[in-house]
Amino acid sequence: MLTVALVGNPNAGKSTLFNALSGLRQRIGNYPGVTVEMKKGQFTTDGVTLDLIDLPGTYSLAARSPDEMVAVDLLLGRRPEEPRPSVVLSIVDATNLDRHLYLTSQLLDLGVPVVVAVNMIDAAAAQGLKFDYAKLAAALGVPVVPIQANNGTGLAALTAAIRAAADQPAPHGLTFPTAFDEVAEQLRKELSDEVPPFLLRRALIDIGGYTEQWLVERHGDRFKVALVGAREKLAAAGHSVPGVEARTRFAWVRTAVAAAVTKPAVRPVTGSDRIDHILTHRVWGTLVFLVVMFLMFQSIFLWAKPLMDLIGSGQDAVAKGVQSQLPSGPLRALLVDGIIKGVGSVLVFLPQIMILFGFIAVLEDCGYMARAAFLMDRVMSRCGLSGKSFIPMLSSVACAVPGIMAARVIENRRDRLATILVAPLMSCSARLPVYILLIGAFIARPGSPGWLPGLVLFAMYMIGFTVAPLVALALKRTLLRGAPPVFVMELPSYRRPKIGSILRRMGGAGWSFTRRAGTIILAAMVIVWALLYFPHTDANGESYPDRIETAEDTAKEKAPRLKELNDKEDATDEEKVELEALEDAGALPDKLNGEWKRGSALGRTGLWMEPVFKPLGWDWKIGVAAMASFPAREVIVGTFGLLYDVGEVDTKAIGNAKADDDAKEKAAGLTRAVQDDWSKDPVRGKYGVPVALSIMVFFALCCQCAATLAVIKRETKSWAWPAFTFVYMTALAYVGAFLTFQVGRLVVG
Amino acid sequence: MLVPLDMVRAGEWAEVEEVSGQADWVGRLAELGIRRGCRVRVMQPGSTCLLTVAGCKLCLRGCDGAQILVRPIGAAG
Repeated sequence: MLTVALVGNPNAGKSTLFNALSGLRQRIGNYPGVTVEMKKGQFTTDGVTLDLIDLPGTYSLAARSPDEMVAVDLLLGRRPEEPRPSVVLSIVDATNLDRHLYLTSQLLDLGVPVVVAVNMIDAAAAQGLKFDYAKLAAALGVPVVPIQANNGTGLAALTAAIRAAADQPAPHGLTFPTAFDEVAEQLRKELSDEVPPFLLRRALIDIGGYTEQWLVERHGDRFKVALVGAREKLAAAGHSVPGVEARTRFAWVRTAVAAAVTKPAVRPVTGSDRIDHILTHRVWGTLVFLVVMFLMFQSIFLWAKPLMDLIGSGQDAVAKGVQSQLPSGPLRALLVDGIIKGVGSVLVFLPQIMILFGFIAVLEDCGYMARAAFLMDRVMSRCGLSGKSFIPMLSSVACAVPGIMAARVIENRRDRLATILVAPLMSCSARLPVYILLIGAFIARPGSPGWLPGLVLFAMYMIGFTVAPLVALALKRTLLRGAPPVFVMELPSYRRPKIGSILRRMGGAGWSFTRRAGTIILAAMVIVWALLYFPHTDANGESYPDRIETAEDTAKEKAPRLKELNDKEDATDEEKVELEALEDAGALPDKLNGEWKRGSALGRTGLWMEPVFKPLGWDWKIGVAAMASFPAREVIVGTFGLLYDVGEVDTKAIGNAKADDDAKEKAAGLTRAVQDDWSKDPVRGKYGVPVALSIMVFFALCCQCAATLAVIKRETKSWAWPAFTFVYMTALAYVGAFLTFQVGRLVVG
Repeated sequence: MLVPLDMVRAGEWAEVEEVSGQADWVGRLAELGIRRGCRVRVMQPGSTCLLTVAGCKLCLRGCDGAQILVRPIGAAG
């Protein structure tokens, strides 16, 4: 069996070649201690199985971080979990050989056979470039195969070349100036143990790079002194680092390309140039960008809707089925309220996530994302970040989980962390039900102007858009202090996106979302449900669910008589007493439910913590609902439903004109129930609007999402950063809600 | 005359004379074609500029950590 490592610059068409060779037999390899993921695939040709490892796209093998070092170690056979590659497959872009062959020249130093795949020959031909592949192979000293990865041209010749190369000796690396070799040899003698010559040379060239840090750590300051001395010696000989590497390698590349490639006298103006003239224009480009963003969010909303409704009704059907099959009791309540609703509240967001990922995949594959990042860099640099932070923050408006994952493209560690830490501040789709419920109950009152609800909703989104950059700025000035990094990014040529790879990315995103977030939210929902369910017996040991059921049955039986008495205008005193008794009986289920929730574990905690919520204008019920929503903020609507005694509340029905009447009635019932409950209270009765605003501001700023914290942990490889995010966002939310209520109280009072 | 890269006007060609600053950034920029002796063309000037380097488009914002000095060659086609 042969192991083949696929290496190339970003935008060389590496993923396309990888998918074309390995088809569906792929998996992701994770490596401990780093965020690098490498795709692994397998394919068989003429009875020989080839293992293909797709290394992250890179411009060179000069490792600057542990993440980049993984690729180098893997190529040198220094990762215990992978065998050393038998062949290195170097993919280069035919339209830009000068640049791409730099990496190839570094691969020749590894001591492993190398095969060069020259990709995108169609585009090169269109630009008038002519190649002599035999001469190119002779100049490079390794086999060269022209391919067009997106339609499969040349792949058979490529696999044949890989198999043949496996039996060949490794190529000779480039010849560096003699002084360089001498200095490297002297440096080797300074080391007590064996270090691959490749790494030693990298340590010498890459000032402050990862190899240097690693060797200094192992061999102490003595090695550091020797290294600095060696570099001084090279500088004195006229070969100062790192310049000596660029000069040597690019001189070699120039000779090889001059021998084998005929270029047209004038570089033709390509279609990409013409498109860029508009798309990177300060005015037109920004305008196009805004339109693209608007269309993206609009389509996420429109296209996800039917699918979300479908999942919602499927979930309802399952819940009803279970309800009719099982006797009432803790098991049924757990299955219906805890598990089916828990899974459902996660799955409902699946279409949004997949459509968002599809959009991002299209924008990235066609090359537009790089232009958007360029346009936004001017704004982002004001808050200490760069254009690369823009994509993750934008994605977070739909959901922070893919947004945080998208921060992987940022090379600078401090910038990447700052982006990850502020992304959850953007108002995600899960906050929408909260906003709509409270705006419906307290802002859109009869008599208030029609534009007010929309304005308040817009203001809630603006909180995220203003606070996130401010927090990023504060982080960059304190915890993540550092010089603003250079922002440099290649703008790839525009390309037609491939349907297959986009569907693959959508599927992958959907699956990992369901698996990772689903398990966390599911567990959290079950816990919240249990904390609100137990203890479920009253002081006399009688079960609350049973008592409520009995009370409900009684109320139903007496309903006709109640209506009759209500309608009667000239009721006798006797009938008035009976009416009161009947009304009490009708209210009994709600009263029992309230008593049960107050006595439950979460209810008791809420009552105990009421002093904490008081400055925000909240009572224990709001506090409990907010606390219950820490695993997933959507939980608040359902929790309000349980606490304000209106029974089942369908989150999706709120603000949804097309929801069935029954669900809408329940939703309207919740709006009314919240209004009624608050009007009975002296604080919330008078200050309903400030309290509602204080809740909304709290939800806008608070990190109430276990999935987000889990993904921050995954991406930063540390529990410290999710803990920090949780603490700072909760503090920010508390202060924000406090100020909102206190200022609002002054205004109303 | 040596000028910082962000002073070059739109459409002008320039030859890179000196890239100074943190070694890792100097190395990274060299890999991308921004190194002594290379010709770049400024497509869009400004603090975040758009360049054509060796047939490739790059966007770039320098900083204190990496300063790029160039010698303008004058506008061309």
